[in-house]
Amino acid sequence: MVMKSSMEEDEAGWGLGIPEKMKNNANWVDITQDFKGACKELNLGELLHDKLFGLFEAMSAIEMMDPKMDAGMIGNQVNRKVLNFEQAVKDGAIRVSDLSLPELIGIMDTCFCCLITWLEGHSLAQTVFTCLYVHNPDLIQDSAMKAFALGILKVCDIAREKVNKAAVFEEEDFQAMTYGFKMANNVTDLRVTGMLKDVEDDLQRRVKSTRIRQGEQRDPEVELEHQQCLALFSRIKFTRLLLTGLIAFTKKETSSVSEAQKLMSQAADLLPAIHSTLHHGVQSQNDTTKGDHPIMMGFEPLVNQRLLPPTFPRYAKIIKREEMVNYFSKLIDRIKTVCEVINTTNLHGILDFFCEFSEQSPCVLSRSLLQTTFLIDNKKVFGTHLMQDMMKDALRSFVSPPVLSPKCCLYNNPQAKDYIDSFVTHCSRPFCSLVQIHGHNRARQRDKLGHILEEFATLQDEAEKMDAALHSMLVKQEPQRQHLACLGTWILYHNLRIMIQYLLSGFELELYSMHEYYYIYWYLSEFLYAWLMSTLSRADSSQMAEERILEEQQKGRSSKKSKKKKKARPLSREITMSQAYQNMCAGMYKTMIALDMDGKVRKPKFELDSEQVRYEHRFAPFNSVVTPPPVHYIQFKEMSDLKKYSPALQSADLYMAASKHFQQARLILENLPSPDPEVNRILKVAKPNIVVMKLLAGGHKKETKALPEFDFSAHKYFPVVKII
Amino acid sequence: MLRALPDLTICQQMEMSSLSTSPARQKLENLLNKSMRIRMTDGRTLVGLFLCTDRDCNVILGSAQEFLKSTDSFSQGEPRVLGLAMIPGHHVVSIEVEAESLLTA
Repeated sequence: MVMKSSMEEDEAGWGLGIPEKMKNNANWVDITQDFKGACKELNLGELLHDKLFGLFEAMSAIEMMDPKMDAGMIGNQVNRKVLNFEQAVKDGAIRVSDLSLPELIGIMDTCFCCLITWLEGHSLAQTVFTCLYVHNPDLIQDSAMKAFALGILKVCDIAREKVNKAAVFEEEDFQAMTYGFKMANNVTDLRVTGMLKDVEDDLQRRVKSTRIRQGEQRDPEVELEHQQCLALFSRIKFTRLLLTGLIAFTKKETSSVSEAQKLMSQAADLLPAIHSTLHHGVQSQNDTTKGDHPIMMGFEPLVNQRLLPPTFPRYAKIIKREEMVNYFSKLIDRIKTVCEVINTTNLHGILDFFCEFSEQSPCVLSRSLLQTTFLIDNKKVFGTHLMQDMMKDALRSFVSPPVLSPKCCLYNNPQAKDYIDSFVTHCSRPFCSLVQIHGHNRARQRDKLGHILEEFATLQDEAEKMDAALHSMLVKQEPQRQHLACLGTWILYHNLRIMIQYLLSGFELELYSMHEYYYIYWYLSEFLYAWLMSTLSRADSSQMAEERILEEQQKGRSSKKSKKKKKARPLSREITMSQAYQNMCAGMYKTMIALDMDGKVRKPKFELDSEQVRYEHRFAPFNSVVTPPPVHYIQFKEMSDLKKYSPALQSADLYMAASKHFQQARLILENLPSPDPEVNRILKVAKPNIVVMKLLAGGHKKETKALPEFDFSAHKYFPVVKII
Repeated sequence: MLRALPDLTICQQMEMSSLSTSPARQKLENLLNKSMRIRMTDGRTLVGLFLCTDRDCNVILGSAQEFLKSTDSFSQGEPRVLGLAMIPGHHVVSIEVEAESLLTA
């Protein structure tokens, strides 16, 4: 029965199933002329097809002889024999022993280029495995080439494992397929690093023996050999350090992360030496008669062409050698940054770390390493802390809920303990997902942030119930204390951060049209940032209440303790930053309204949709959130109606108001102690906008029909407005 | 109502003509879902089920397999699975069907 049903499926689909009879060599009858003649009788645009086969199916066919879709065409147009490793060795096209130094250097550099091209999202078959040597390192006799080939395979294997495990990639980021190639699994990591080290030591001896001696007449040939040995030495050592560094990341101890950091630094130190010796390697030849793939000994770009899946082939352009060195140095910088994460112990700090790291749009490998460093296999943060404990600490430092204070009666109450423990356990998964979302590429993050709001809405509900239950328990024993909206405030804070990030990322990804800016900025300034600030000040006052109680209890014991000098509030900086952001958004909102009044915002002719449709689409993910409640379009229109002002507002009034908002943001930011780069970036937008708004308020270029320009180059979320 | 008629009749004509049993159409319809072997201008051969064609002889094959030209010794005989493939009419060199499928038609 099973057999039969699968047969039927094959016949129904026109996909990849291969009917049995095709495999046999049947008697073929030529019908070319008949067929072509019959086709001519069809009408223009008419399709002759089976009832079950329509235009829709036809669309998904790949078009033969179109280089963008037809992977087989590229391989077929090349007038040379495509040899695999064994054939190439047999034909003498490549050598497995007695490779010259320039050959080794050239092959290794090209391999590095392939490795990076793979890490940038191309398939292994079109990158690293175009190098024939890595197909079967066992056949290589040259010790340097063999160790290097194994090293590269190991690097690929570990990188692939890390990326797979972290699961923060999509098809546009990374191709994990290995096409059945062996990734040097028959040799241990230790053996490979040992082999590399041996080669390294040999080379070092050669470098030393060719070194210039005092008073010696320098033979240019010896000098060249010296340079080339040094070049090869740097490459082998670099491979070994890169590999050992990656291996360190696979270990579970936290100490291995700092070990990895050290190794990466050492690897980075070799890059200048690699860069300055690129010219020593044999260069690839660009032979235009052989397709546009550069030809390089040991490499056959088309060797795996037949392995490619029947999807549209992607042309893998291998990056240049100069760029390779540059890329490695940036990659190593990123990996070193990743290692810093273990110095952050607070969950909020870690979340900020992830956000900041992601803002540089890092590569998939560094993103994955950050994920796997954060949550090790044993589901513990950095391999040592329980996620639940991390969240309790975060709660304690954010709202100081009485239930987590050792001085509170709830702290040792078993039921209260159960409550809080089950709550943080429920929080654990959504928070881990939140961290994971920040590991995805920027475009995918937005989509995922929209979805995770649903989970946070559930947590919000639970937090509020928990607060109520804990409060009723608390007031019975300690009537002077309260447990209102503690856990709720914490979840709400994260909710708001996600919502804000969701909206702001739309600017970064250039999703909004100019005519949409005004409601996005309105939503941010009037609503989300307002909520965020009140949430933060609620958390702040909750902290203060808790501190007061602690102080009173201490006073009771030792009256000596005089009043402490006023400390900076832990949340004050975030509150101040939110004020600045709110003013920037408000300034942009008023700017957009005023520009619209002056007819300087191009609006689409709404035919099939309306502004309401777009508005609702933009804020659709917020519908799953209960607190803060979503603002529907009708409400938004009522709340932002300018008709309630009398006398009626003119565009000049609004430009003036916008200017004041930008001015306010500037004042707030300039008074911040120790400004970070973000502060400076916002200032770079606020300052010119203050001036532009004042000019516009004064009627500058009021008559011009040219539309204003929005320049997001200084800041991802706030543009400098330019009037032309 | 009447003004709309001309448009309708064109559609109907098209519909009718495609349904009509002109010998040419009949011939092509009989070939539908039969195994077909098409040689392309670059020497490759595709084997698959004939699913669709039009006036310019663009052909769509289902479950198609790609065979390289016979001079290629390396992967001779190893077909590559393509799935649904469209061969533009001007790249079609020859078309063959299995003899037995002609008999059953």
